[in-house]
Amino acid sequence: MSVAAAHVTDSRETRSGARGDWSSLLYVAPFLLIYIVLVVYPLFSGMWLSLHKADFFGERVFVGLENFTRLLADKVFLGTLWNTFYFIVLTVPALAIIGLGLALALNRTTRAAAVLRGVFFSSSVLSVTIVTLLWRVVFIPDGGFIATVLEMFGKPPVAFLSDEDLALPAIAITTIWWCIGLPMMLFLAALQQVPKELYEAAALDNAGRWKTLWSVTLPSIRRTFALVIIIEIVLQFQLFGQAQLMTLGGPNNASRPIVLFIYEVGFNRWDIGYAAAAAQILFGLILMAALAQYFVARRKGEA
Amino acid sequence: MAAGSMVGRTLSDRLILVAVIVLGIVMVAPIVWALGLSLKTNAELMVDTSSVLHAPYTLQNYWDLVIGSPVFRWFVNSMIVSLGMTIGVLVLSSLAGYGFARLEFPGRDIIFVLVLFGLAVPEQAVIIPRHQLFSELGLHNTYIGLILPGLSTSFGVFLMTQYFRAIPREVDEAAMLDNATRFQVFWRVLLPMTLPAQATLGIYTFLHAWNDYWWPLISGTNAQMYTVTVGIASTQINFAESAGLGFLMAQAIFAALPILIVYVFFQKYIVRAVSGGAT
Amino acid sequence: MAELEIINVSKTFGQSKVIDNVSLTVGAKEFVVFLGPSGCGKSTLLRMIAGLETVDEGEIRIGGKRVDALPPGERGVAMVFQHYALYPHMTVRENMSFGLRNVKIAPAEIDRRVAAAAKMLEIEHLLQRKPAQISGGQRQRVAIGRAIVKEPHLFLFDEPLSNLDAALRVRTRLEIAQLHQRVDAAMIFVTHDQIEAMTLAHRIVVMNNQRIEQIGTPMEVYSRPATAFVAGFVGTPCMNFAPVEITGASPFVTLRLPDGSMLETRVDRKALPEGGRFKLGVRAESVRPCATGEGNCSGTVKFVERLGDRTLVYVLLSDGTTIVAEDAGMSRIAIADAVGLRFDSAGVHLFDDVRGYHAAEGA
Repeated sequence: MSVAAAHVTDSRETRSGARGDWSSLLYVAPFLLIYIVLVVYPLFSGMWLSLHKADFFGERVFVGLENFTRLLADKVFLGTLWNTFYFIVLTVPALAIIGLGLALALNRTTRAAAVLRGVFFSSSVLSVTIVTLLWRVVFIPDGGFIATVLEMFGKPPVAFLSDEDLALPAIAITTIWWCIGLPMMLFLAALQQVPKELYEAAALDNAGRWKTLWSVTLPSIRRTFALVIIIEIVLQFQLFGQAQLMTLGGPNNASRPIVLFIYEVGFNRWDIGYAAAAAQILFGLILMAALAQYFVARRKGEA
Repeated sequence: MAAGSMVGRTLSDRLILVAVIVLGIVMVAPIVWALGLSLKTNAELMVDTSSVLHAPYTLQNYWDLVIGSPVFRWFVNSMIVSLGMTIGVLVLSSLAGYGFARLEFPGRDIIFVLVLFGLAVPEQAVIIPRHQLFSELGLHNTYIGLILPGLSTSFGVFLMTQYFRAIPREVDEAAMLDNATRFQVFWRVLLPMTLPAQATLGIYTFLHAWNDYWWPLISGTNAQMYTVTVGIASTQINFAESAGLGFLMAQAIFAALPILIVYVFFQKYIVRAVSGGAT
Repeated sequence: MAELEIINVSKTFGQSKVIDNVSLTVGAKEFVVFLGPSGCGKSTLLRMIAGLETVDEGEIRIGGKRVDALPPGERGVAMVFQHYALYPHMTVRENMSFGLRNVKIAPAEIDRRVAAAAKMLEIEHLLQRKPAQISGGQRQRVAIGRAIVKEPHLFLFDEPLSNLDAALRVRTRLEIAQLHQRVDAAMIFVTHDQIEAMTLAHRIVVMNNQRIEQIGTPMEVYSRPATAFVAGFVGTPCMNFAPVEITGASPFVTLRLPDGSMLETRVDRKALPEGGRFKLGVRAESVRPCATGEGNCSGTVKFVERLGDRTLVYVLLSDGTTIVAEDAGMSRIAIADAVGLRFDSAGVHLFDDVRGYHAAEGA
């Protein structure tokens, strides 16, 4: 009797297992463990660290917000903030507009359009180190592609990467070349979502080609446009490899972005408390953009 | 009527075509230029780089690469790290995705939101403590050390959770009536149904791992542990006094080739994976 | 012997009851249909029998053995789902044998059962295909085949016809009836379609608001509905209802319709509770149009529906009540005609107007 009863309760537990017990945690535990150790802990540990004067060898002195006040007075750091924003202004609108233009031009079913889509996306699969290597031999004054072309027209070479005014724009051009595939594909996906009936209705309403573009196509992909802008802001905020490899932040800090600053302070000068504080500022800025992305993406149903 | 609209369209169509072709040339020009440089001897390039435009061409730079370059070693490293990370992400994300989508345990929804929050944490923001942690654990310059941070990204968990949630619960129930245990429901019924998502996530992860520059640069400082991406960078740093432009370009082309070949064959999946990863 | 016993079963989700003290017995080889509107609890009850929902109170016994704490696979039941729930990555053969392999049945026996079921369902040529490669009707058969190979004593069907087009639905309905002839098992079939219920069931369990309204054979449910809900839910068109006053002395009562006309019945006055308020229920087939002045009451024709074999006439009485009457297929009645209505007193039902239960009928 008691055995039977025990069996009944026992199997009831297994049954209701799907409805809540600790063994269910086993499925998420491996990821959670890694997530906590490698994301959650470093996030808070970094915040704590940013309140210390610390070096690589474990010397730590609590200094409160001193790292932050130092940062806000640090001309180099403020310069990197400015450079990063300037870089975003140079790249993000261009990526969105060129990406949209390519998507509109290549949103057709011909073989040539498919090949061209493939070409424009191909650079996206390359690593930053290959991209910068390719573009340095475009930009260098000594035998670079542009210099060689200029030479044919009898013009002197331009030293793009060692000119304070041209270094960041040159990095921006490289970045646009590298990243153009993603916005193009996002726009293409959005264009294919526009219902055919809308175009048929516009045709019945005697709308011309440009009128249809302005009144039907572009309004239909408004949300994607916002999404592309935000995604690219988040991505380009993290500019690092191109600057580190093409100019090392120079000349005279003219192309030094925030992430390169964190890297150099943290791993060349080993002033890790200071680097951690700069990382918190980067985190705060990206968090704002990510929240904006979340809210735009969540409005999927409305647009 | 039809003819009229055709005429109206040709001019603007031609302008668009010209613009696209110009942009297309800009797209391939750097690669063609690099390819040309890689096929020239250093001596010739020193004299005049416009010699790229005409013969003679040589494979000498590639031969030098094959006989005396660490690039193969880097390749093996990249392969181990990328494959390890891909397998790890697929396993962890599938388990966690099933857990979040189908099982109930205390605090599930709160934990899921906290995991999603990880999508907003850039790697650069946690780099200092993460680097210290790996120093203490002695994981720098090891394969495990190169792989582990890639396993902590929330994206895969998010993707798989969404995918598992889209599978009708009737399928689980049918399997339960078929006497499948909870693990069998996961392993033999639901997991095979997620293959499209596994492919997307796998390609996305592999490509990210292969192209990642940030963490391998910081953690794998020993030249023996360089990935291709970092290795190519290391030869660039001393660009000026390097073995010559032609050799450098041969290296870039050699490193880009496998990815580009894979891209040609799996373009559809790669585009889907990369675009899906962004939104 | 009873195949399935449900004893005082209840279930609660948060604050709301989803099954409220339900009891039911299903005999061996019996075909029982749970009929009711969506949200009435019929699917929940089926899922509780299958083990897909927990039982909060009460007992469920299958073949005499208490099962309400057993996992679904151990209850000896097989289920066909609304959307079939086939495993898309497995072939038809693998779909059908998955459950048998899980309980380690010998491969030869599995092959024998799959072959037999495939032959019975005429899906032998599909065994190597995947679900995506076959039609909706074929998927339905595979889902049924997956249930058959388990050789259960109890089949559960959860609205299995709702995804088929009209023609296929009728055919599959017949096939399920034939299947029931061939297998030695009881069947429970959930539907909101009264025609499926009427054509398939030995007994219909009509459910509404988380409770059982009536259990009975199709003809019992149709001709002597236990409640006003059942009367209204079963039968097309819906039964006519009208509030009435009881007048007349013993032995039989006379009803005063809302428009003031009188209707004599064969209902014994003593059979009715004193002082109750009642409503009349009468099906269209028990109301015939006739010349004005000849019937029990009269009105004007508001609308005419021609169904071919019969004609439904919507008649507006002087007080605004609409009564649907049935006439022959070749009826000449047109909109705006004045007609009389004659009630067949055998088809008259009286329902308690407050609680809805069946109080009396005319015959």
